[in-house]
Amino acid sequence: MKRAGMTLSRDKRDTLLLIAATVLVLAPHVLHLPPWVSLLCGATLAWRALLTVQGRRLPRNLVLVPLAACAMAGVLQTYDTLLGRDAGVAMLVMLVTFKMLEMHARRDLFVVVFLCFFLVLTNFFYSQSIGTALLMLVSILFLLAAQLSFQLTGRVPPLGARLKMSARMLGFALPLAAAAFVLFPRIEGPLWGMPDDSRSARTGLSDTMSPGQITDLAQSEDVAFRVKFDGAAPPQPQLYWRGPVLGNFDGRTWTRVDPLPRRSTPQPLSIAVAGAPLRYQVTQEASNARWMFALEVPQSLPVLADRPVNVSGELEIQAGAPLTERVRYELASFVRFSLQAGDALPDRSRWLLLPWGHNPRTLAEGRRLAELEPARRVQAALARFSRGGYVYTLQAPLLPGADAIDDFLYDTRAGFCEHYAGAFVFLMRAAGVPARVVTGYQGGEMNPLDGYLTVRQSDAHAWAEVWLARRGWVRVDPTAMVAPERVQRSVARALPPPPFGFAGLGRLVQSDPDSLLGRLRYAIGAANNGWNQWVLNYSPRRQQDLMGQLQHELFKWQSIALFLMLCLMLFLVGKFYRRPKIDPVDALYSALCRRLGQLGLPRAPDEGPTAYAARVAAAPLAPGPQTAAGEFLRRYSAWRYGPPDASASLLPILKDLLSRVR
Amino acid sequence: MAAALGPPRKRGARQGWLARQGKAWAGARRDKWRAAVTARDRGDVVLGQRRVYIVPTRAGLGFGALLLVLLVGSINYNLGLGYGLTFLAAGCAVADMLATWRNLAGLTLRAGRAPDVFAGEDAPFELHALNHTRLDRYAVWIDFEHAPAPRHALDVKAGGSAALALAAPTRVRGWLAAPRVRVATSFPLGLFRAWSWWQPDSRALVYPFPEQDAPPLPASGRPSPDGSGAAGSEDFAGVRSYQPGDPMRHLAWRQIARLDPALGGRLLTRQFEGGAVDELLLDFDALSPQLDLELRLSRMTRWVLEAEQRALPYAFRMGRLEFAAALGAAHQAACLRALALHGGAEDA
Repeated sequence: MKRAGMTLSRDKRDTLLLIAATVLVLAPHVLHLPPWVSLLCGATLAWRALLTVQGRRLPRNLVLVPLAACAMAGVLQTYDTLLGRDAGVAMLVMLVTFKMLEMHARRDLFVVVFLCFFLVLTNFFYSQSIGTALLMLVSILFLLAAQLSFQLTGRVPPLGARLKMSARMLGFALPLAAAAFVLFPRIEGPLWGMPDDSRSARTGLSDTMSPGQITDLAQSEDVAFRVKFDGAAPPQPQLYWRGPVLGNFDGRTWTRVDPLPRRSTPQPLSIAVAGAPLRYQVTQEASNARWMFALEVPQSLPVLADRPVNVSGELEIQAGAPLTERVRYELASFVRFSLQAGDALPDRSRWLLLPWGHNPRTLAEGRRLAELEPARRVQAALARFSRGGYVYTLQAPLLPGADAIDDFLYDTRAGFCEHYAGAFVFLMRAAGVPARVVTGYQGGEMNPLDGYLTVRQSDAHAWAEVWLARRGWVRVDPTAMVAPERVQRSVARALPPPPFGFAGLGRLVQSDPDSLLGRLRYAIGAANNGWNQWVLNYSPRRQQDLMGQLQHELFKWQSIALFLMLCLMLFLVGKFYRRPKIDPVDALYSALCRRLGQLGLPRAPDEGPTAYAARVAAAPLAPGPQTAAGEFLRRYSAWRYGPPDASASLLPILKDLLSRVR
Repeated sequence: MAAALGPPRKRGARQGWLARQGKAWAGARRDKWRAAVTARDRGDVVLGQRRVYIVPTRAGLGFGALLLVLLVGSINYNLGLGYGLTFLAAGCAVADMLATWRNLAGLTLRAGRAPDVFAGEDAPFELHALNHTRLDRYAVWIDFEHAPAPRHALDVKAGGSAALALAAPTRVRGWLAAPRVRVATSFPLGLFRAWSWWQPDSRALVYPFPEQDAPPLPASGRPSPDGSGAAGSEDFAGVRSYQPGDPMRHLAWRQIARLDPALGGRLLTRQFEGGAVDELLLDFDALSPQLDLELRLSRMTRWVLEAEQRALPYAFRMGRLEFAAALGAAHQAACLRALALHGGAEDA
């Protein structure tokens, strides 16, 4: 009767373990599920646990079916669909919880566990961080333990032992999974169209620039892209990552110039380059925009697997479709170059347009500058920024007036890179120098641990380009005149931290790369980047590269020799490991039995030494071996079954006796 | 015979000749193969690596489908971590396959005792599973080949052993070799099922079925002059100490009650005289040869049991075999054994 009670409580414990595993699987979904779904599922699981502990019957289908129908209606109400990705996940979550209430056969257990595996996958829609991966491991560990518990029939090892069993299986599975992960042929998704709700808006540079826009970006610590240089990275002041080029100004917002009408054959772009190109690899985070970023003049267009890439006459690189996921591309850029370095600039007028009737003071100053030589005009304007008492700040005063450039240049004199670049280009145009605003990123943070340069949204920058006869387009960064440290280091460190608040805390850490926290930050950054590079973005292309590399490495004689040596070692270890240890006295006993067997007296399998000795004594053997064998067996029997004795001297005696049996 | 008398099975009737032939052929092949695998089973049998077979269960096939779904989902949504999960789950399935196989491979099986039974009873075969390895074995299902679903599960600790008795139905007298045994397991995850065949090196002696309404014990082999023959056990001659096998109703309750158990009291049996005077002889050849052989053996069996029950010492004669009059388990066993093995089956 007690036995029955024991097995019942064992069932209960198994069920509770399964509930725990389910909770582990469902927990991360709470972050994105509507609260009512989370609450309903939590309540249902708690109810299930209560029923289990009290040993009561599961609710009947008469109760469950209306409940499930109501839940479905709720999903429909919340998402307006039952089939979208998020609605599907919500449905699955509730399916699992209701299935827990409807478990009658072993088959139902498998259904729950398999659904849980699928729910672990759906969680990756929302997060694929290292933490998520760790949680996945723990969830699988518990799922396996629950499944294993239901297979047991009699003796049930404690929970710790069962978890250990699952951990051992998981440990066995991990290297297999790693190998399959690397070697399994990858297919570029998607296999079919994905629902639109899978993508949400992301931050990044836009096609326009108005005061305050880049300032917003500068407060985001999100990673824009990461760069790995093939050789040494160029110094920070040379790292201008070119993005959208803006040439139209309406008095407030800079926008891109309209593309040239296709009236004639496109003007050939004259570019002269010098020196060897700088090779590097960019891993760009999803931006939901089409911009791709390169240094200066790229040698060739980057290649994306699934979409075309174009370059404009302003050297902007654009993908054919918005980048909705992380992409990686190889680039080679010429750092020394001249662009359109002729005597005259085609379409010169496009880069001189200004909105009429605003900013009279700037226009007047432009007219004054126009008396100088073009190159001198640029220098004069830059001198104004460096000596005019301008302040570089994220908290620029608002410029609501119609003459915003005038207000900035002559009154407030405080702003961010977008103010300086915009005002400078305006001034240049007023002075008759073709000029344009270039937006993009400047600098980046080199992680000494893995050699990746991380460019964050906070590195977003705007600078200017002016065209000078025979020199072509020349980059001019007016911000560097105001805050030279901006281009020496990254923006966050260039700015004094605000006295209070989280941003300040974050930058305090950042400001000292050698402190413990700074190093920890680098380590976390390197781990995250490695994770992104090797796990989340292990694309077919990357796989091909790796396979080629592996092939190259593996078919060297050193690798083959190493492999053979490893095999040999494993073989030897296995051999020694498996060989049972035999007591030397027992080994001698076996030898004696073999020798007596050769003399026609094999020991019967069920015969002990004493019985054997009696048979040997009665056998017609030569007297010498007979007494020796008898003595041997007597001593062996005494050693094996008698009280413990100093057996050190036994071995030589037995050896001697054995040698006399022949 | 019973099957032939039962209602014709519809499915079998509808099956085509070819299908039946094919099935029969496959069945014969299967039996032959199993017999070949277990042909050399003597004494302790270690389930070697080459005789443990493994296939996925239905749940295992379901898990395969799940893996496919996970893979397609990972490809479609480009989930790097999804690939990781898919391959990890696949790795767990492989680990489970290996663990299931290892749960069985290397297990040692040994046949235990098989007590004698009467035809129609179930013969319990004692089987031992010994684990000489360092691996704990869980949920190993053991049953005879023809059982519809295995009924007994064993756990065998590393270095330990477990025993169970499997009942095999008996129908005819003589030696009954233990049927082939199927050892199977799905531990740990139930995605795969590993099994093996084993022919236990054990046999049970099946006595003839005791006739139900047998005629009373024969008066006497050698009728006594006064013709009152079979009496014998009525004259109370005294008491002696109890011996195992004494009939319960011959216990000397009155004398036992006088002895205080606390003072070393023991059971006493009443002893009778008279049986010796007039000895009971169970003579197989005295039965009418008109009767069916099995019926005669059946009747002899009943008489042996009855004589034993009534504590009448009986002599036993069957062809050249002759046992002097006696009582007790050994005598009974010898008589029943002779009956069981009559004709054909040699005494081994």
